[in-house]
Amino acid sequence: MTRPSTLAFLLAGALALPAFAADYSVGANSTLGFTADFQGEKFNGSFRSFEAVIAYDAEHPEASKFDVTIDLASVATGDSDRDDALPGSEFFAVKQHPKARYTTSGFRKDGDQVIADGTLTLKGIRKPVSLRVTFTPAAGGAVLEVATTLKRLDFDVGSGEYADTSTIGNEVAVNGRLELTAKE
Amino acid sequence: MTWRSDRLRWGAAAKGLHWLMALGIIGAGVLGLVMTGMDRGMAKINAFAIHKSIGLTVLALFVLRLAWRFFDRRPADLPMPRLQRIAAHAVHGILYLLMLAIPLAGWLYNSARGYPLQWFKQFNLPALVAKNEGLAEFAIAAHVWLFWILVAVLVAHVGGALLHHFFERDDTLRRMLPFARLRHPPSGESP
Repeated sequence: MTRPSTLAFLLAGALALPAFAADYSVGANSTLGFTADFQGEKFNGSFRSFEAVIAYDAEHPEASKFDVTIDLASVATGDSDRDDALPGSEFFAVKQHPKARYTTSGFRKDGDQVIADGTLTLKGIRKPVSLRVTFTPAAGGAVLEVATTLKRLDFDVGSGEYADTSTIGNEVAVNGRLELTAKE
Repeated sequence: MTWRSDRLRWGAAAKGLHWLMALGIIGAGVLGLVMTGMDRGMAKINAFAIHKSIGLTVLALFVLRLAWRFFDRRPADLPMPRLQRIAAHAVHGILYLLMLAIPLAGWLYNSARGYPLQWFKQFNLPALVAKNEGLAEFAIAAHVWLFWILVAVLVAHVGGALLHHFFERDDTLRRMLPFARLRHPPSGESP
């Protein structure tokens, strides 16, 4: 009984939604990193290993979708002491939570700025996180840049004695630069 | 007590700088020996931060002390054998060099390892050089070796002062002590 009307509704929805978001593969030179603060000085870190499933429609950002999985043990900050400490239980706890994951739930525009809303799961904690998205078409694909600022303590990164924000700042700037190639 | 030194005793400024730096040098030295053996954790991070902060303070006080020394007059040497006087001045000269070189070697190491340098969580100081592992190893070796030379020279410095005080029974130590009275005040025999 309801089937025809449901179908009509779905069809209408499909027509209304310009579901033309193109799927992209992510190039090897892509980076996903962060800038944090230790003893009043900024340091940069990056994740050498992550996977990103990207569908993007610049004309209709709401049809886009990001699904990013980050191998937390691949963190590198240019300091061996710090790189030894970060996978430990006080920071990323990679034994219990080897991966972090970010999935978008929707896209919107704030003026000219595209914002991705989504959920970050890090160290077993799920919190909403929004990204500023910059999509720059390039030959055969695009460059996708994302940026946001997180509070590390929201995700229990640097717990216990390391929660002292006078030594390790709470705010961490996250930035990604993905080199996208259009999938066939 | 006046700020400036006179013919017989050190002034308040020279005394203050001397004892403040003595306190800082001993504190930084003891902390330096303890902190390297600590287990990884916030206590170790804080111990290093305080060691560096004290070291920077000693370096700043050293600059102040050197500047004051050019402005201030110095009490005359007390009568003593020539060799002893030369030894005392040599020890002072070496101490001045070490008070400059040890904090600088620490700063150099800190820079070459790429560590931040913060003074008691108040402000940061720039790196002296870019990150350089080879230079870092040299700088930390110099920092540690110069420290052990400092320990040896301090034994001579403190030992000399105590010898003057307890055996020669002169005013060498008293004229540097904060509140002590001289054994041979100006009205007595010639200085």
